[in-house]
Amino acid sequence: MRNKIVAGAAIGVFAAVGVAMPAQAISATTADLYVLHAVPDLPVDVYVNGALTLDDFQPGDLAGPLDLPAGVYTVAITAADAADDSAPAIGPIDLTLAAGTSYTAVAHLAEDGTPTATLFTNDLTTIPAGEGKLTVRHTAAAPAVDVLANGAAAFTNLTNPNEVKANLPVGTISAAVALTGTTEPVIGPADVAIAEGVNTIVYAWGSAEDGNLDLAIQTIGGLHSAPRGVDAGSAGFAADPDPGMIAWSIAGLAVLLAAAGFSVARARAGRRSN
Amino acid sequence: MKVRVIAATVMVLLLAGCSSAPARLAPSPAATPTATSAATPKPAPTAVIDVPVQSSELTAPVATVPPVRIRVPSVQIDIPVGPVGVGDDGLMEIPFDIRTAGWYQYGPAPESATGSTVITAHVDSFEQGLGPFAYLKELSAGAEVIVTAADGADYRYIVESVQNVEKKQLPLDQVFDRDGAPRLVLITCGGQFDENVLNYSDNIVVIANPA
Repeated sequence: MRNKIVAGAAIGVFAAVGVAMPAQAISATTADLYVLHAVPDLPVDVYVNGALTLDDFQPGDLAGPLDLPAGVYTVAITAADAADDSAPAIGPIDLTLAAGTSYTAVAHLAEDGTPTATLFTNDLTTIPAGEGKLTVRHTAAAPAVDVLANGAAAFTNLTNPNEVKANLPVGTISAAVALTGTTEPVIGPADVAIAEGVNTIVYAWGSAEDGNLDLAIQTIGGLHSAPRGVDAGSAGFAADPDPGMIAWSIAGLAVLLAAAGFSVARARAGRRSN
Repeated sequence: MKVRVIAATVMVLLLAGCSSAPARLAPSPAATPTATSAATPKPAPTAVIDVPVQSSELTAPVATVPPVRIRVPSVQIDIPVGPVGVGDDGLMEIPFDIRTAGWYQYGPAPESATGSTVITAHVDSFEQGLGPFAYLKELSAGAEVIVTAADGADYRYIVESVQNVEKKQLPLDQVFDRDGAPRLVLITCGGQFDENVLNYSDNIVVIANPA
């Protein structure tokens, strides 16, 4: 066993370092639900199972996460300050939430401009060290679009209500959205940070016809992973003496000593080489 | 009189709060349609739970203040620190100069409320000889480590342990922990050296706690 504590005290090899906590609050029995309001100019109330859950929810705002037991939830979205959920503007729709999963329910415009709602599943898979994830969701009243990153088409032909995603090196990208087959941005360009271990979710929302297309951003962190290791030396100047080599020298010495008739030394060497 | 009325109103509100729907949302039993059409006008209801709401507008990320210098007085280490990431091979990057340490820029910094600030340096190189971090294994528990951040602030740590860990057994998720108690973790190489692959068998890991 080569592992050893050179100085100080530690119970187990790494008891001193904190145990990593799960990245999300969700558990084996609950789901995370975010709600994004992406219908322009329409403050709303959101009812879940008939109970008012988001009061006077403003366009462009992101609510959550709600930590909810897995199951089916009925969501109705009404004009703000409605007396109840009997006359919803969107829904009611049933959302089936699975345990251990993160969702974003988005109230948005369909391609033809009618208000609707879509439940997206957020990718919580671990991201390689040094990278972040970019997810782009089309929730705007607009035809198919291309997503441009630093001027070049990164994702093509994205339609409402769908998403595309990719892991990217950490950094800042200049993101823009253009109608498919064109390069003239209808949204952006805007600088979007790709942060390490973070799923950065960009929503295109609003209406092309009304000229209020915009970006909304949601980030889900804690998806990082550690480097594969630390190789911090290349010459051997700091190496411990090799126990194999020591054993050989002792054995060699013992042979010489034995040959010279020192029986005590031979017995000792025999023990060491076992 | 006026005061009394207000007090009574508050009482009513408090009682109403006590008797309102449970604060926790639960799944609907079988997704049965809820009762519809309330003919009598009711006052606007209030939300049953308080859900955090934030703007989804694009904002610039908040930059952490990187460490720029590390000192370990008891073994005469005093070297600059620069930010490093991950190499193409997936290993942590380490500055070529053995007299410069690398701070894992994707993990916590000294100012971070949680997690381990990880700083490494090469123990040696053929061209440059033995580096300052070769003396980490001489450290004793209780030794002082001072990390200076780019804003000039000094962060003091006290060494808790110095460990010699076989590389393939190094618990990387714990070494690069981001959520636990704030700590400083110093890493270099040690153990046996394999001449064939020019690689050490072990990592020397120093764990220090804020003083």
